[in-house]
Parts: sequence; C-alpha cells; structure tokens
Amino acid sequence: MEQKVEYLSPEGWRQWHLELLQSTINRIYHRVPFYRKLMDEKGITPEDITDLSALKKLPFTTREHLEKNYPYDLFAVPLRDIVRLHTFPGPRTPIVKGFTKRDLTSIRKLTARFLSTSGVSSEDIVQICLDPGMSIWIEELKEGAEELGASVIPPDPQSVTNRVRIMKDFRTSVLITTPSYALYLVHFMQERGLVPPESLHLVILVGEGMDAPQRLRLEKALGVDTRLGYGITEAIGPAMGYECERREGYHLAADYFLAEIIDPETGEDVKEGEAGELVITTLMVKANPLIRFRTGDLCRFLPERCPCGRTTPRISQILGQCDGRVSIRGIKISLSYIEALLKQTYDHIPEYLLYIRQEKYLEELELWVAMNEKLFEPSILGLHKIAEKFEKAFEETFGLPCRLKLVEKEHLLQVSQGKKVIRA
Amino acid sequence: MLTVRNLTTQYGAVRALKNVSLHVGRGEIVCLIGANGAGKSTLMFSIMGVVRPQSGEILFEEEPIHHLETPEIVSRGISLVPEGRQIFYPLTVEENLELGAYQRFKKEPKEAIFADLESVYELFPRLRERKKQLAGTLSGGEQQMLAIGRAFMARPKLLMLDEPSLGLAPKLVDNILEAIKTLNQKGLTILVVEQNARKALELAHRGYVLETGRIVLQGRTEELVADEDVRRAYLGKDYRKFTD
Repeated sequence: MEQKVEYLSPEGWRQWHLELLQSTINRIYHRVPFYRKLMDEKGITPEDITDLSALKKLPFTTREHLEKNYPYDLFAVPLRDIVRLHTFPGPRTPIVKGFTKRDLTSIRKLTARFLSTSGVSSEDIVQICLDPGMSIWIEELKEGAEELGASVIPPDPQSVTNRVRIMKDFRTSVLITTPSYALYLVHFMQERGLVPPESLHLVILVGEGMDAPQRLRLEKALGVDTRLGYGITEAIGPAMGYECERREGYHLAADYFLAEIIDPETGEDVKEGEAGELVITTLMVKANPLIRFRTGDLCRFLPERCPCGRTTPRISQILGQCDGRVSIRGIKISLSYIEALLKQTYDHIPEYLLYIRQEKYLEELELWVAMNEKLFEPSILGLHKIAEKFEKAFEETFGLPCRLKLVEKEHLLQVSQGKKVIRA
Repeated sequence: MLTVRNLTTQYGAVRALKNVSLHVGRGEIVCLIGANGAGKSTLMFSIMGVVRPQSGEILFEEEPIHHLETPEIVSRGISLVPEGRQIFYPLTVEENLELGAYQRFKKEPKEAIFADLESVYELFPRLRERKKQLAGTLSGGEQQMLAIGRAFMARPKLLMLDEPSLGLAPKLVDNILEAIKTLNQKGLTILVVEQNARKALELAHRGYVLETGRIVLQGRTEELVADEDVRRAYLGKDYRKFTD
C-alpha cells in the first residue's frame, strides 16, 4: 500500500489530497489560533474547502510567522504529545519544530522510502558526513536508514583523514553528504593518492543541488552512482523530494504534502513549467502543520510524466533562493539573520558583503564589513575582539565558521557592485 | 470502490455531516470511529440513500449514486447491517436470510442463492442449528449473526456495518469480528462503524475519525492506534474531543 501511493491515478490523488487537506484544516482551525484568526479574517471556514483549488483562498505562512509564534503557538497538539523538539536559527528568534510520536514514525517511513528509492537496502553500510548545522537532517537520515535495516555510521566530529579511513575500514557502501563535501573528499583523496574504497557504490547528495558536469566528475572519480534528495527543515525534513532511477528532477512526496509554485511577487501561480517559489502545505503532520508555507526556494514543475511510472509531481533542481537566504554547504543562512547579528555586535548595520570563496571545493565564508567611524574602538585589539565575538556567535548559530574582515568601504563597494552576496 | 466527497447532511437545522470526504478501496476494511452523535450512522444512511445529503457526491465503482433510491443502491452492490440488527422477529432464521436475497430471486438461479445460504451457515453454524427458529427468540449475538448473514445474502460488493458489537458480550464481539474478517478474506469490501474504537482498529486496515460531523484524522489503523489524540479520545478513560 505505502509503495503504491506514489503511483496513484489523477483521480486517486485528488481524493487523497482532498481528504487529508480537509482533516488538516479541521484540526488546525480548532487548535491553532493563528490559523483560525487568519481564516476568520478572510472569511473562510473549514467547510469552504470542497476542492483543492480552495487552497488558493488560504493565506500563506512565512518564516516571519514562525518567528512571531515562537516557540509553541503553531502547535496543533497539546505540548504533552510532543516527543521531540528541534530548533534551528531564525533571524530574530530561533525556529522551533515539534514532533509527536506519530510524526516521527511517518517521517522515518518517508525517509526510508527516499533512501530505498535511491538504492539503499538492508545490506548497506551507510556513512553520513554532514556538518553539525544539518543536525536535523543527520537525525532523520540516520533513522530512515535504520528503518531500512542498513548499518549506519552517524557523523562524528572527525578529521577528514579519519573519515576516509573509516570509509575504507568499515566498508562503507553508501555515503550521504553534501555535493561540496563530496567534491572535497575527492580532492582530498586525489591529493594524497588514496584510492576510493571499492565497497562504495552510491553517494546520496543532500542540502544542495549539483550540476551535471560536476556530478559526472564525482561519479567517475569515486566510481559510484549518485542520487539527489531535497527537503525543507521547517516543513517536513529530508526526503520531501528525491530522484528515481531516471534522475530527472525530484519526485515530490505528494502523499505527505501539497506543492504549489507561485510568483514570489504576486503570490499567484506561475504558468505551467515556469520557475517560481515552492509553497508547501503539509498533509500528514500532526504537531506542527503548515499551510501554504513559503519555502523561499525557486524551482519549476517538470510537467511531463516520469517514465519510471510514479505519478508524483516532479520539480527541477533548486535554482536559487528568493527570500534573502544563501545556501552554504547545505545550510541555509539568511541575510536578515546576519544583519541582526551585526546589529548586536556593532549597534548598527554597517555596509557588508557576504563573500563565499571556494576553498578546495568547500565553501568558506567571509563577511566583509566596511569601516566607518561608528566602528572605531580605542585600539586595534578591541576591534579584533569584537570581530571574534561575531565569529563565535555565527559559528554557534549555524555550525559553520565565518571570518569577519574589516575592509575599506570603497573596496567593498567595488567588489560587491551593489550585491550583498558574492561567490568567488 | 466507494468515494465520498464533500458530503453534507442536515436534519432540520442540525448539520450532522459537514464536508465529509473518504474512500474505501476494493478489498479493504475501513472503520469509522467517533463518539455518539458524531455522524457515523448518518453517513451510512446517506450512502444507502435513506437520508438525502444536502450536498456532495457519493460514487460507487466510479458511478454517482447519491441521487438513487435505496433499492437501486442495494442492487448496485451495497448492503447495510443497521444498528440494532433490525431483523424480522416473527419470521424464521432461514426466512430472514432468504429475504436478504429478495432482489436476486428474479434474476438468478435458485442454486446460487442456496449456495450462499450454505456459506452463511458455514460462517455461523449457530444459525444452521436454529434455522427453523423464529428470529425473535434468538440471543443478541445470534441476531447480529443473522443480520450480517442476511446482508451477505444480497451478495453485496460493499458491506456496511453499523455498530456490530453493540450490546454484545466480549466473547460474542470477537466471534462477530472474526466473521467480518472472514468475509473480507473472501473478497468482500467492508466499511464498519464502531464506538468500540479498540476493536474497530484491530479489525480494519484503515480508519477515519469523525467528530461533530467532520473528519479530523485518518490513516492506517496501526498509526491511529498509536496516535495520541485517538488514544486520549477513544481508547483511554478520560474522554476528550479533538476540538476541545
């Protein structure tokens, strides 16, 4: 049954989505004052949801709403039903995500389906190499792989040398990591004349997309097949989209959520096949359901039916972010967060530039801050101390290092050309 | 097999069902759980055409049936075992069973009907022992067996049962549920309404939770059994509505 869902007829999907959308709305209308208020304001009752097109009448949920309702106001179950609380950084407040036992079970099953579609089986030894900033992904991927009966090696704060050694000694057959880290590993092995472990047959790439030439290079260098996975931590987690054996875009897990692609300016649907912002309505989530959540990720629907037979909608790779967030090694960093941090450090927001440099395939972050008289401290040492404070706060938040560099304003403007983010 | 979409049914000013959508796939046992007055029986009556829905669609094997009269719905292949059995007390067990096949006598050879009668007796040997007895003299459990047997005699594709365990001793409840399972294994699709949520969830493959006329949750029964809300509202002692 669970396997067959991905192959439902259009009529089957219509019924599936209608039933789940109605019960989700019935629950949140009575249990989440935030949504009830929004719906009342727009004059919509749960009884108006008679068709999937009624979804368009419902308001959007943004990351700002998540912050405003921090910590627990968007929960649709009593707190005592929550068995896990995840937190990750938002610009003004942390973002909280709660799970009931049932939520955890269903996410685990979904993640297992993603991994098994990617080619993981109970015979595999799965090694996860992800930065601590992706701790939620680590947790869910680990549980999904365990659900399949695979042997999982969760990430440790190990050196690359040790990780490569473990890969060889433990006979890792599947590696789950980000595209940039995978390329970095290739570089690392080649530089030291190390042969990739023979046992390795599959690399599952999450957190970011990867273009075809780079992907081919990675596959050749490691002698592996690769699969991409897509997810949004705020909505459901990893496994929201995954490639089938055709590897032509992400199949969305449409049994768990409804997807729309809208024009981020107008909020209206884009024309078929055009790029826009992905919007998600959860259907299976009990603790923390989201209605029309604006992901900020830009992509387009692939309208053709996939030859693999699955009838789930497919999207392209993510073309970028439209809401001032930047994806670095799979971790999403919002500029408004950086601005909040700058304000905290300097009491104002100086001119800045987020400078992303490729260092042996790994992205290194620098935040350039233009000098101005408000920054001045009695001593150079004082300036450095303040910069260090910023760097520490940044790393504590995102699990990624970021170097703060004070530069001449003219130089910054010359390099930035009016942009806030530059990839070099 | 059965698809219900946006069903709204009203009794006077009271809306008993509000925008209910659900489906039952071929070969499934689907249960509907909910407290008294949640609208479970209304839903069954609406499907049978006994109560006219205000709005919405009911499709059976892809054909709309919500505008049909009850006899037509029965001949399409839906049978209801109503709450409280509603068997004909002054008639014998066998006469009751034969009446179940009332619509078939004109169309089918008698042998087919007698073969089905035989399989009802196989399913419930107690009914064979009492086939000449008046239905009114049967015990509650036997009456329930008879009601199920009579519904089966119409050779339905979809059998709907309204509170089959109501008022029965625990041992008999198990017998009845076992019989429902057997019928399902023989290919019958089943929609069952139960206040005894624990038993219903044990029996069915999937379930819907109905609360004050609305569906508030659905899923595979193993998920529902583990669901905190279901446990609190229907499996525990401290009864609390979802929407409280």
